[in-house]
Amino acid sequence: MARAVRSSGSSSSRIDLIVLGAAAFLALAARGLPPNMRDPLASSMRRTFLAPLVMLQERAEASRRSLLLDADRTAIRDSVALRAMAVSALESENDRLRELIGLGARLKWGFIPAEALHGRGVRDVTTMTLTAGSNAGVRRLSPVIAPEGVVGMVSTVDPTMSEAMIWTHSDFRVSAMSEDGAAFGIAQAHLGSATTGFLMELRGIPFRSVLKPGAQIVSSGLGGVWPRGIPIGTVLEEVKTAEGWARTYLLRPAVPPADVGAVMILRNDRATKGFENVWSSAAAAEAAAARIVVAGDSAARTAALAEAAARRAALDTTRRDGTVGGQIPGGLPPELMPDTSGAQSAVPLDPDAAARRAAARRAAARRDSIRRDSLERDSTGRSPTRGI
Amino acid sequence: MTLGGTVRGVITFLILILLHYTLRPLLGWRAPMDFLVLALLLTAIRVRPAVGAVIGLVLGIVSDSLTPDALGAGAVAMTVVGYLASWLKAVFFADNLALNAFFFFLGKWIFDVIYFTVEQRLGGIELIQQVLLWSPLSAAGTAVAGVLLLLIMRPLLEPARA
Repeated sequence: MARAVRSSGSSSSRIDLIVLGAAAFLALAARGLPPNMRDPLASSMRRTFLAPLVMLQERAEASRRSLLLDADRTAIRDSVALRAMAVSALESENDRLRELIGLGARLKWGFIPAEALHGRGVRDVTTMTLTAGSNAGVRRLSPVIAPEGVVGMVSTVDPTMSEAMIWTHSDFRVSAMSEDGAAFGIAQAHLGSATTGFLMELRGIPFRSVLKPGAQIVSSGLGGVWPRGIPIGTVLEEVKTAEGWARTYLLRPAVPPADVGAVMILRNDRATKGFENVWSSAAAAEAAAARIVVAGDSAARTAALAEAAARRAALDTTRRDGTVGGQIPGGLPPELMPDTSGAQSAVPLDPDAAARRAAARRAAARRDSIRRDSLERDSTGRSPTRGI
Repeated sequence: MTLGGTVRGVITFLILILLHYTLRPLLGWRAPMDFLVLALLLTAIRVRPAVGAVIGLVLGIVSDSLTPDALGAGAVAMTVVGYLASWLKAVFFADNLALNAFFFFLGKWIFDVIYFTVEQRLGGIELIQQVLLWSPLSAAGTAVAGVLLLLIMRPLLEPARA
């Protein structure tokens, strides 16, 4: 019995050893395969039953890569977001500087560009320091403007710096009027509650003058400090006051004090010359549109007159040609033309020579007509621009 | 082995293979734990040495197909490890976690030694460094993972009670 068990155990061990040997031989054979047989074998296994495992491994490695890159990506995203915030401020500043350059181009002369330095104190809400002083031509009470309109006026001047009173100052006044010149008053800071802070009010408007919300208010030029036509603000609503003889309106200022960064200080000689076409307005746009329409009408009228003159000239030419016969296309028939041949008709003519002369005249008349047409076109094309 | 035991063994085997191709690349360690060796060891202790060798051969060929340059090296190593695990199961695989951990450690280390020897990609100091430094670290990681899996998957691995 024991021998049988031992015999069975040894035969099992022998079988195990044989299988181990065979398996090891197969594995070594696989190891010894040449690359041209090994690669297709491995490839076929990867493409068939190992494909799901390969896909799992790829996904896992991709996940690991994304996990490793997550910190870097977060850092990059944060820095990009930070820069984007700065870009917004830079764009805003760039827009303001462009507007200021545009204002400078329209003013053409007589202004001093300056940077506005805001303070941090409570009082500094109403004043600001400008980086230009008397060395640059700044004088006391010089108007300070921005592309949008009135900012304030210079209160004190140093050689290199100056201090300006912003329109929010309680002592600031500017003589104002509605854009159409129908109502005049005095614009100043609205010293109301916190909810209406940084607004302006237009006082002293005659009771008969009613301003609608949205009406533009500009400086009137009265008083000699502020030139006429600089935007001050927009009417929001009428404010009820105890004064019964005049109206007071609340204005949204053209220039919010917090947005003032770069400004223009007007020199006194420039302020006295006026501001024609410096600030575009709806009225100016309408006037320009009307001028364009008028110019178009005059161009059409000029073209019509030129066409009539050309037609008359053509008729005259045809009439002259009628002396030797032949009809210019568009002209009167020979039998209706007046007889102006005179004595020449009595002279016998060579038929061939007469035909040649008639052909030459017709060609000359055609050239004249073409030249007139081109002149008409030229004058028609030039007229509108001259009108504007 | 009963049918239930066979099914549980197959499920464990498949879970370990999935872990090998998901968790291992996700962790991306320099000395990675080897779930294929764990699967082979846990399967081999349940079968005869010859079957363990055949399972090792198949598993090795499968794993080598992802590294065609080393095709056959893993098969040789797994064949030997499968046979030895099945042959030594009575000695090592007792109800003792430390002994099981040593069993996993030894299985992985022997696998690495055979693998890098047969592969012949590394030589000299690199081979020594790999076999004496990285392979033991990898074997230790594999042993820890194996013990953890034994604890977690005990219901699957224990034989069914009558």
